[in-house]
Amino acid sequence: MGNDKYMQNAVTGWMVPHGEHSDIVMSTRIRLARNLRGFRFPISFPHEEAEKIGELIADALLIPEKKGYSYTRMSDLKKLDRQTLVEKHLISPQLADAVMYGAVLLSEDETVSIMVNEEDHLRIQCIYPGLQIENAYQKADETDNLLESRLPYAFDEQFGYLTSCPSNTGTGMRASVMLHLPALTMTKQINRIIPAVSRLGMTVRGSYGEGSEAPGNVYQVSNQLTLGKSEKEILAELANIVSRIIAHERKSREMLLGKSRLALENRVFRALGTLSYARLLPSAEAARCLSDVRLGIDLGLIEDVDMNILNELMVFMQSGFLQNYEGEELTSEELDSSRAKLFRERLQRRTEDSSRNPESP
Amino acid sequence: MLCENCKERPVSVILKQETPNGPVERNLCDQCAFNLQTFSFSPQQEPMSIQQFLSQWLTGEAIQPQTRGNQGMPECPECGLTFHRFLEIGKFGCPVCYDTFRERLPRVFGKLHNGSTAHTGKIPASFNEKMTIRKKIEALRASMQEAIQEERFEQAAVLRDEVNEWKRKLAAEPAEGGISDGE
Repeated sequence: MGNDKYMQNAVTGWMVPHGEHSDIVMSTRIRLARNLRGFRFPISFPHEEAEKIGELIADALLIPEKKGYSYTRMSDLKKLDRQTLVEKHLISPQLADAVMYGAVLLSEDETVSIMVNEEDHLRIQCIYPGLQIENAYQKADETDNLLESRLPYAFDEQFGYLTSCPSNTGTGMRASVMLHLPALTMTKQINRIIPAVSRLGMTVRGSYGEGSEAPGNVYQVSNQLTLGKSEKEILAELANIVSRIIAHERKSREMLLGKSRLALENRVFRALGTLSYARLLPSAEAARCLSDVRLGIDLGLIEDVDMNILNELMVFMQSGFLQNYEGEELTSEELDSSRAKLFRERLQRRTEDSSRNPESP
Repeated sequence: MLCENCKERPVSVILKQETPNGPVERNLCDQCAFNLQTFSFSPQQEPMSIQQFLSQWLTGEAIQPQTRGNQGMPECPECGLTFHRFLEIGKFGCPVCYDTFRERLPRVFGKLHNGSTAHTGKIPASFNEKMTIRKKIEALRASMQEAIQEERFEQAAVLRDEVNEWKRKLAAEPAEGGISDGE
């Protein structure tokens, strides 16, 4: 595959399964919203302030110790490259649109991304694979301390960190965990869990946040409240809720396996067949099949597919990646065809391996 | 003629309704016409705007259109945002807005953050030192007052000197957030 190198570079830390409960928890993300004193928020700042903020933040992280961050202005990136960063969850769709003043500072391993002039002046984001709430927070906190020692933060004794949106005021922290919940979705229990979780001050939504659906049965659980609770309390509550959801998902998986193993096997292997042989793969179908195959691997029904490949495909199947991979803009049919080709190629190794070591009938 | 519904107030509305048995004309006072829910709004009142709805929900009080932008509606000196506009867009314009609208904010935050109105989480190191000193000064002042009340003047003088010492330290602390801005 000619573009293999591009794909290798495209793999980001959080896509490689790691950490506790990595079969269900895909990634953990901590985001801290911060603003600089003496400047208006991006919603109302003039051009000069935007420029100055970008310079101050870049200087704070780049010049003093050369911490291994790269600074990229949104205006220097092609639309497709911005979209690719969104698909890797390194920047928000909102920042990708903020072409005028937006920028991103990325750490070498891409676990830390600092968005500049999104809704707030600074949004420090750390993504870790699997369930690593403590580690992700520690890294975000460390980065925050470093920036705080060099920048005049807007902070208030009563209200905490001052943010553009009152829903972030206080800690400015949004902690979220991405979960793959196929069994809770199949058994429709997720519809009961979502309202229960929201009564506890947390939200459950699709992987791209507010308003997004849950393609591939991937849900994001995050804290809703940022004021009146310390970071530690919020993280402990999130960990508690997530562990309960994981336990529920496991129970449902066991139940499905026990009660309808054949139907489940049928579904899982049909999905693998579709991904391995389809010539046109619309993204919704690809996401659904990926979810089923993932479940098949987790339950031990499928043994010859590497979870790493699935995690990569989950990101690479998105339209920004595919178009970058093909090196041109694609129509929707071309996208479906390119996606199908990518899946065939990535899953090829599996069929080659199994033809060498055929399973007993 | 009296209203055919309440038979108390004079008729002010003639209501024509299409019914399965043909059109019917009813003579009603404005209150009965409104109460019969034939109208979607009260004759005295305009329908509620989204902004009024939001401001009522966030602050528990209605903002009358005539008070728009003035009369006790503070305006941020830094970015020009009015409280009215803040309720409309749901976003602050700059950090100074928090100071400008300080009195009204606990109500807003209470609704958004499940009753919480004050931060209890992380404090930036530079703020933390200042806050510790301020708290120390407050405590010393309280003890000083107590000493004066109880006529322990010598002790009160010692405490006064201590307060002054801490005040000097506070003044020597760098401005919050690392970069000095002449605060």
